Amino acid sequence: MLEFLGTVGGAVLGLPGVLGLALGMMTRNPIFGGVFGAVVAVIQAFIFAKFDFGNIAVFDLVIAIGVGVLAGVVGSAIRVKGTVA
Amino acid sequence: MTDNNSPEPRPGFFRRVWNGFWSTSGVVTVGFTLIAGFLAGIIFWGGFHWSMEMTNTEEFCTGCHTMETNLGEYRETIHYNNRSGVRAICSDCHVPKEWNHKVKAKIMAVKDVYHEVMGTIDTPEKYEDHRLSMAAQTWRKMKKSDSRECRNCHKFDYMDFPVQEARAADAHQRAIDDDMTCIDCHQGIAHQLPEGYQEKYKSVVEDLAADTGNQDGKTVSFAALRAFLGGDDATDVTER
Repeated sequence: MLEFLGTVGGAVLGLPGVLGLALGMMTRNPIFGGVFGAVVAVIQAFIFAKFDFGNIAVFDLVIAIGVGVLAGVVGSAIRVKGTVA
Repeated sequence: MTDNNSPEPRPGFFRRVWNGFWSTSGVVTVGFTLIAGFLAGIIFWGGFHWSMEMTNTEEFCTGCHTMETNLGEYRETIHYNNRSGVRAICSDCHVPKEWNHKVKAKIMAVKDVYHEVMGTIDTPEKYEDHRLSMAAQTWRKMKKSDSRECRNCHKFDYMDFPVQEARAADAHQRAIDDDMTCIDCHQGIAHQLPEGYQEKYKSVVEDLAADTGNQDGKTVSFAALRAFLGGDDATDVTER
């Protein structure tokens, strides 16, 4: 449980959470927002694995993608809510 | 002035804050908003990072009563006092440097606050009761990460084997050959080893191998490990 919460926290405060949210805010379509977040999560995992897919921890990657998708969707929602035209 | 004849009731405080937050601004420009947001971002992120680094100091780590035993043991080791004057503090060995791993470690460290409050290890007797399980947790973490925090300072590539003691040079060469990691041999490097630590470490390695299915293909040679530690049980736990 602690491992799970720590991984989620790391993803929220890492690229999937922050950049996922920012990229999500660039589109009104939540599907695009979610995809952007997921892509960021995969890229981050790849970078931290020193560009070797063999070093990617599947558990961390799944959590990061989940957080990235959520962040992207929330970003899109903010965009919809936060623009008037 | 409030219009008492208004047909709509005045919204509550939180609703008014919410509405105000999402209302368009007719007062400031986009440029002002961007610059103010940028500056606020620097201030908030700086504050966040500063707070995070503050929790890495030795004073912070040992501020709790339950860390006194740890601190006393660590002060007897070469990582605290040595001829070169370089010191590794708690966070150097227990907190990863990379952001994602660091945040994860910080969140997981909340359990230490819980146990401090609950008094789980607030007496020497309780501490000794939990010593083996606490050590096993750290061993598991270090074994899983290939002793990542050790390798922030110590790397096989940087070792000058001819300068090392013959026994150390031989052990390090064998560690490279057998694809071992620092914690396989250096379990008691900063804290006292609990009784039965060899068996516990063996079970930690076996559990990890079972969890991962030994997919990384690394061989954990207990023959080599036992030889380093002076034991006589030479059994390979997992083999390629």
